[in-house]
Amino acid sequence: MNKETLETLLIDYIDGKLTHEEKLQVEQELVNNKDAYILYEQLKQVMHAMDRSSKLEPSASLQSSFNTLLQEEIKAVKKPKVIFLQPSFYRVAAAVTLLILGAGLGYWISKYQRQQQEIALIQKQLEENKLMMMSMLDNEGSASQRVLGATVALKMERPDDEIVMALGKAMNEDPNTNVRLAALDALSKFNKERHVRGILIASLATQKDPLVQIALIRILVEMKVQGTVKELERISNDEEVLKEVKDEAHAGLLKLS
Amino acid sequence: MTDELLMEAVKNGDLQQVSALFERYNKRIFNFLARMTMDRTLAEDLTQNVFLRIIKYRNSYKEGARFQSWIYQVARNVFSDHYQVHKNKFSDFVDIEKVSDHLQDSEENETIHEQEKLLQKSMSLLSEEQRELLILTRFQHMKYEEVAVIMDTTVANIKVKVHRAILKLREHYFELEKI
Repeated sequence: MNKETLETLLIDYIDGKLTHEEKLQVEQELVNNKDAYILYEQLKQVMHAMDRSSKLEPSASLQSSFNTLLQEEIKAVKKPKVIFLQPSFYRVAAAVTLLILGAGLGYWISKYQRQQQEIALIQKQLEENKLMMMSMLDNEGSASQRVLGATVALKMERPDDEIVMALGKAMNEDPNTNVRLAALDALSKFNKERHVRGILIASLATQKDPLVQIALIRILVEMKVQGTVKELERISNDEEVLKEVKDEAHAGLLKLS
Repeated sequence: MTDELLMEAVKNGDLQQVSALFERYNKRIFNFLARMTMDRTLAEDLTQNVFLRIIKYRNSYKEGARFQSWIYQVARNVFSDHYQVHKNKFSDFVDIEKVSDHLQDSEENETIHEQEKLLQKSMSLLSEEQRELLILTRFQHMKYEEVAVIMDTTVANIKVKVHRAILKLREHYFELEKI
């Protein structure tokens, strides 16, 4: 019996996985071959040591820190509703007030003046929203504030260049993965803008975070953005890229081909 | 309720159900990561990350998929991402004489059998893949079929690799025993 066959049979013998004939064959070998018997004894010792190895107990702090983490995540999911419902309520209230005022003063104010006032109000609101979002995105001390900033951008109908630049910078340079992913989410909403598509494809060439890479590939493939195929081919041949990312790139290529 | 139904509830927004999954899996995932990293403090942090990822990426769980396979795939990713970020493979810095100190807590360490210490040292000398295969199949008693799903390969391939890992472990074990 050659060495490799013997080793495999011995392991299966110890595990009780052999047929009756194989079992007899091994037992015969153990009687006649002293080296085989030593190997059997050693394998048995090591395998039983593993099977009987004690279970490790995590400390109590694992449970308590998990509970804290879960409550934070539950809060984070609920939070946007609380934050965004209130301003929209005020916006609706302001709009209704304006409507009533407009009707009452309609006789007295010219059409031109009314339009000017409404435009000024909308511009002011937009400017305030933009300032709030930019300051949140810029908050170096809090990753959750930056994620919130990106989420505010997601609520906007159409972002201006300054917002797109800030989101692009967050997606490429923010130290926190969640912020980068939130910025990518917000940018992908504006994928109809040509320069946004350009930023996304350029990011794929420089992005090093595997989670963001995978999310980017999925979005670009879904959008069928021009130039994606070339980047995906580069990624699927890049030795330094993580296997999961290469697999995603490969799957993307198959979808686009 | 099955693991799969709990995870589907989580996916549909009922995050509180992660608590039940944590109850069922935290010790198994901690044991897997502790034996992979040989460092229980780090293993606790990584276990926490596994459950955080389950919450964050709940939408990537495919309905009907076996939850146990999925959570171990997440745990493997958390482990490899940790060492990729730190650009530091386990074998570069492990001090095998201190493996048991890092792996057991002080109370456990006093009572731990010499044979187990020898086993832990021998495990630390295996390649990452061999260590992982033995942890899943021998320490955690998983079937080859399940490990094949987790590692995305065939059952026959897993069996061959597990046998090689056992033989390699035997070599290290009896070499260390002589010292």
